[in-house]
Amino acid sequence: MTSTSTAHGVSGNTEVVISGVGLAVPGITFPDELLGAVREGGFDPHTGLTGREMRHKDRASRLALRAAEPALRDAGLHDGKAFTGDGDTTAVVVSSNFGILDSVCAFADVIARDTVTGLSPLGLPQTSSNVIAGSVAMRHGLRGPSVTLCNGPTSGLDAVYWARGLIASGRAETAVVIGVEPSGDAVTKLLGEPVFDGAAALVLEARDRGARPRAVLGAGAYARGADPSAAVAAALGGRSPDAVSLWLPGEDACGGGGAGPAYGLTARLGLCSGALGVLQCAAAVAYFDRHAHEDAAVLASAGGPADDAAAALLLTVP
Amino acid sequence: MTWDITGMGAVASIGGTPQEIFAALCAGRSGLAGLRAFDTTKYRARQAYEIDDRPRPGADEPGRATRWLREAVAQALTDAGLPHDLADVPVLVGTTLQEQRSAELWWREGTRLAPPDLHFGTALRAAFGATRTYTFANACAASLYALAMATDLIEVGAADTVVVAGTDAIGESAFGTLDRVQNDIPDALRPFDRSHKGMLMGEGAVAVVVQRAPAAPAPGRRVHARVRAVGINCDAHHPTAPDPGGITRVVRDAHRRAGVAPGDIDLVMLHGSGTPKNDTTEAGVLAQVFAAGPGEGDGAGGGPLMTAVKSMTGHTLGGSGLLSLVVAALALRQGTVPPVLGLTDPVEEAAGLRLVQGTAATADLGLAQIDAFGFGGINAAAIVEAVR
Repeated sequence: MTSTSTAHGVSGNTEVVISGVGLAVPGITFPDELLGAVREGGFDPHTGLTGREMRHKDRASRLALRAAEPALRDAGLHDGKAFTGDGDTTAVVVSSNFGILDSVCAFADVIARDTVTGLSPLGLPQTSSNVIAGSVAMRHGLRGPSVTLCNGPTSGLDAVYWARGLIASGRAETAVVIGVEPSGDAVTKLLGEPVFDGAAALVLEARDRGARPRAVLGAGAYARGADPSAAVAAALGGRSPDAVSLWLPGEDACGGGGAGPAYGLTARLGLCSGALGVLQCAAAVAYFDRHAHEDAAVLASAGGPADDAAAALLLTVP
Repeated sequence: MTWDITGMGAVASIGGTPQEIFAALCAGRSGLAGLRAFDTTKYRARQAYEIDDRPRPGADEPGRATRWLREAVAQALTDAGLPHDLADVPVLVGTTLQEQRSAELWWREGTRLAPPDLHFGTALRAAFGATRTYTFANACAASLYALAMATDLIEVGAADTVVVAGTDAIGESAFGTLDRVQNDIPDALRPFDRSHKGMLMGEGAVAVVVQRAPAAPAPGRRVHARVRAVGINCDAHHPTAPDPGGITRVVRDAHRRAGVAPGDIDLVMLHGSGTPKNDTTEAGVLAQVFAAGPGEGDGAGGGPLMTAVKSMTGHTLGGSGLLSLVVAALALRQGTVPPVLGLTDPVEEAAGLRLVQGTAATADLGLAQIDAFGFGGINAAAIVEAVR
């Protein structure tokens, strides 16, 4: 295998960029609102998750579909009617820790009360966490690799890392990455508070496809390890922490001390869990849209000492 | 590039190691038994291929999928002669249900559950110091998907050694919803036989150590089999039903990546889930893919041998593809292919396929293909090569 980047070749050096962002976040319309911009209106799950195409879908799939389409439009891969890219080379990567937890618990309740004959056959897809990725792939005809990560607090950043990897390995030329956490009684009971009940979506592409780059994901710009500070240092790859223009910390704000001004997304959104890393990347794009100076860099981190690991991702200006 | 399988571990209803499982398969010994996990009066189907390790009969306990995962990984590391320290080694776990069963027991019966219990990195950190851990909830193609991504990691130089694993324990909501939708009530999983009535779940975990082939010959280094390629894709067609187009694409992609022709394949480890839809779709696709080309004879008696381990292990869900791969590695080495248990009258689409029936077949085998398909329309196919 050569080291050059070809349609099906492998290269560790492929430059992968974020070319589109879409949100289905309560009260928010555009990514800059993640960083404090204020507009009227915004997404409302009570009214925004209805419609014929949402019928029989689980809540996480509906949120994901609401985020994916604007991301594809933003990347110029959707004309308002249909996906216009190459379905065979487009991957879907989803991160969700609690995506089907409420369905699973509800089905167990029904069985206990009514036996299996009380279950709806339409619930079958919702017994597998990859229902969300399947829903998005089916809606837009995305036939590349389909990957679902349920990987704890770092899951969203991990999903971005693996989506990048699918492009770098030549398995895909484009990837739709979605972070989603639907609210529900079981999730609230498990966490002790509700999750944010929303989704964020990114489109990743190899830069040489002619995409309009909004943020760059370099090779080696991601690390996952036991020590949050070490993960950040590895993601910085020799850069000084002073070079970070903005730090988007995880839910327990570990590991990025000294790395730029911190802006916590969860103060406004609440617990984002598996969606957090994707939301952080969406916020980074919004930052670069406003601050296009050539050495702008945004650090996203997640996970802390109480977790199985911490992860960090450095995004740079295109 | 190729990748070496240097360690293997597995637990299933029919055995506690890869060798035990392979011996049971060759002897035609099934793990089928009455459903132990749940109150059987709530279900139509009352059979499954469970691991019989619950401390009290009739009472389920949380954390079993995690426990078997630890066991399979430990076996694979020991088998590879590696220390049980994975601080620098990525561990990629494919699963359909994660620890869904533990969540059900928490919700219904009040057993303890914390959010970190739902992904496997927590237990892998505690047992092996692993922190480059990833739980892929990729339905029943999950562990071969994880293998594909492991080969990518090694190819781009992000790792030299990766542990790939799969694990699943039977869960109520998944077992129950499947039970609800199957028209017939299967009393056994009988892939490709006209009497097939559907899928029955099994339990188990599996792990392999995947390593970059050394630049220079390494005397004493044991290699079970060599991974030539793994193809992965998505049908984008139906939430749960297989699609012949997507399956054809993934098989041809695996062959192309491996640089092999259909005629080079000696053995196919079928997905073979025993649902009428899977069996007719998979058999139909393979009949076309392996149809004798010009100059390859008349096709009579030609084509690879085929078998389906789910006829004895049940459908072990996320780990099933990798379990088939471990069985393939042993079959290649020993030149023995387990039969499809219960197969006497193949479905029409499988009429031209060389499905092993009755007793184990012996043959000289060089290359094996492993199929794994899952909900969400996801497909994976791996090609592995014998190491002599």
